Amino acid sequence: MSEMVRDTLDVAREAPQPRSFSRPYWEATREKKILIQYDPKVGRYQFFPRPASIYTGSRAMEWREVSGKGEVFSYTLARRGRGPFQGKEPYLVATVTLDVGVNVIANLVHVAMDEVRIGMKVKPFWAPLPNGMNLLMFEPDR
Amino acid sequence: MALRDNAVVGYAETKIVERSAVDVWELGAEVMESLLEQTGFEKSEIDGLILSSSMTGAGNAFWSQTTADYLGLELDFSQTVDIGGCSPLGALARGCAAIDAGLATTILLLYADTQVAEQNARPRGYQGEWLSTNGLLGPPGAFGLLSRRYEHLYGLDYTALAKLAVAQRGHAVLNDNACEKLRKPITVDDYMNSRMISEPIRLLDCVMVTDGASGLLLTSRKRAKEKGFAKFVVPLGYGERTNFRWNEAVVDITESGHSVAAKKAFAQAGVAPKDIGSFHPYDDFIIANMLQMEMLGFCGRGQGQAFIKEHDFTHTGDLPLNTSGGQISAGQPGLAGGGVNVVECVRQLMGGGGKRQVKNTRYGAVTGIGGIPYGRNWASSNVMILTPDA
Repeated sequence: MSEMVRDTLDVAREAPQPRSFSRPYWEATREKKILIQYDPKVGRYQFFPRPASIYTGSRAMEWREVSGKGEVFSYTLARRGRGPFQGKEPYLVATVTLDVGVNVIANLVHVAMDEVRIGMKVKPFWAPLPNGMNLLMFEPDR
Repeated sequence: MALRDNAVVGYAETKIVERSAVDVWELGAEVMESLLEQTGFEKSEIDGLILSSSMTGAGNAFWSQTTADYLGLELDFSQTVDIGGCSPLGALARGCAAIDAGLATTILLLYADTQVAEQNARPRGYQGEWLSTNGLLGPPGAFGLLSRRYEHLYGLDYTALAKLAVAQRGHAVLNDNACEKLRKPITVDDYMNSRMISEPIRLLDCVMVTDGASGLLLTSRKRAKEKGFAKFVVPLGYGERTNFRWNEAVVDITESGHSVAAKKAFAQAGVAPKDIGSFHPYDDFIIANMLQMEMLGFCGRGQGQAFIKEHDFTHTGDLPLNTSGGQISAGQPGLAGGGVNVVECVRQLMGGGGKRQVKNTRYGAVTGIGGIPYGRNWASSNVMILTPDA
């Protein structure tokens, strides 16, 4: 039987402190929506949010809602956690390439170790944060 | 004036310890005194000071100025380099540029950190907002993601990495300055069986943060000759890249800025990887050594494991690797850790390796790795080729 991976939903996470230019992302998570920065000059997305386009340096960026579907780019099984993650091991942290072409690092939940692999299709799973915002995680898109 | 018109005339380092009992400036003074005794320079001849990054110094926005105060230095040029693990090697390159530009004539390059005893850094980056919520365990977590991706693209035989860990540990046994806790030989099985931290990163893949200091004394080649130095070391080529391919959202994380930095360094030096007599790559994780072998062109991409199996990385081998034990087996004195690699390269080229002296001292290569960014490999990469001159 495959090793059980813990989902870390019982970790006492603190709500993140958004920056002036990342606030729209976090506010949208209250409605479980994913907003990603988009540079209309080149038609490309970027993550995490930055004060200017990584492509052109332009500040005229748009926030676009995306599905959050994607595939696993890489993953690591944490055997040792720090702070609130101590004692919650083992848990998975994955880099996920969203369909719109950005990489997001997040917990991968509801998956067994013998199922997880690079290239695996995933979809969003939301975990509540203490201030009403939600944390983006991923689960298998079976 | 050019890079190769400069000369490293002295090198020094303190014992690396698990936790320093003395102040970081006392370690700095030990390095300075050692350099003055070794080179015969007077303190008053030092007119430049360049410091590496330092977790202890990170709480002081006047770090190089205050350090100069405590060391009693009157200076024409003073600065701290803030590219993390790349900063010791970066300091050497910047020192050469400063001498070339006439800003200073003789520069103390000081790499001192007591991160374990006194950590004053307050990180202001992406970590709080984008990583603290998912529990990725800092550098071991990032290298876990990198290793798994490498494994996916090329396959990964961990016994190849074990071979590097065993070779470096053997070197630390021969290094009296290495952290005592690490001066015990290990086997391939010890590596393979060491406990997992952030899979596939094992305990024996990881560097151990320690306290310590090292440094170099740099002057112009002309001055070194006038002073009658029997031996000194000359930098021949240098390349540095921060934020490699940062205008792309998804990149191949098995490729680093070392690819472009090395191309520049080797071209400027007029040598090739096959000419390198000893290799001193920045080693925060064992797999970083293998990736840098690929990036510098010792072998092709994805061929690191085969290359490792074909070569001998001990000090008597055909490509001696981190002959003081590297940071993984001598200890990583915080953000001054790159000094372990830089100082050992200079020592070997000057013939000061003692019982771990390498035979081929024609050319040495040193690298740096600085900063762990979000979803990539590392933020800064640098490479320098050096040679002895008399």
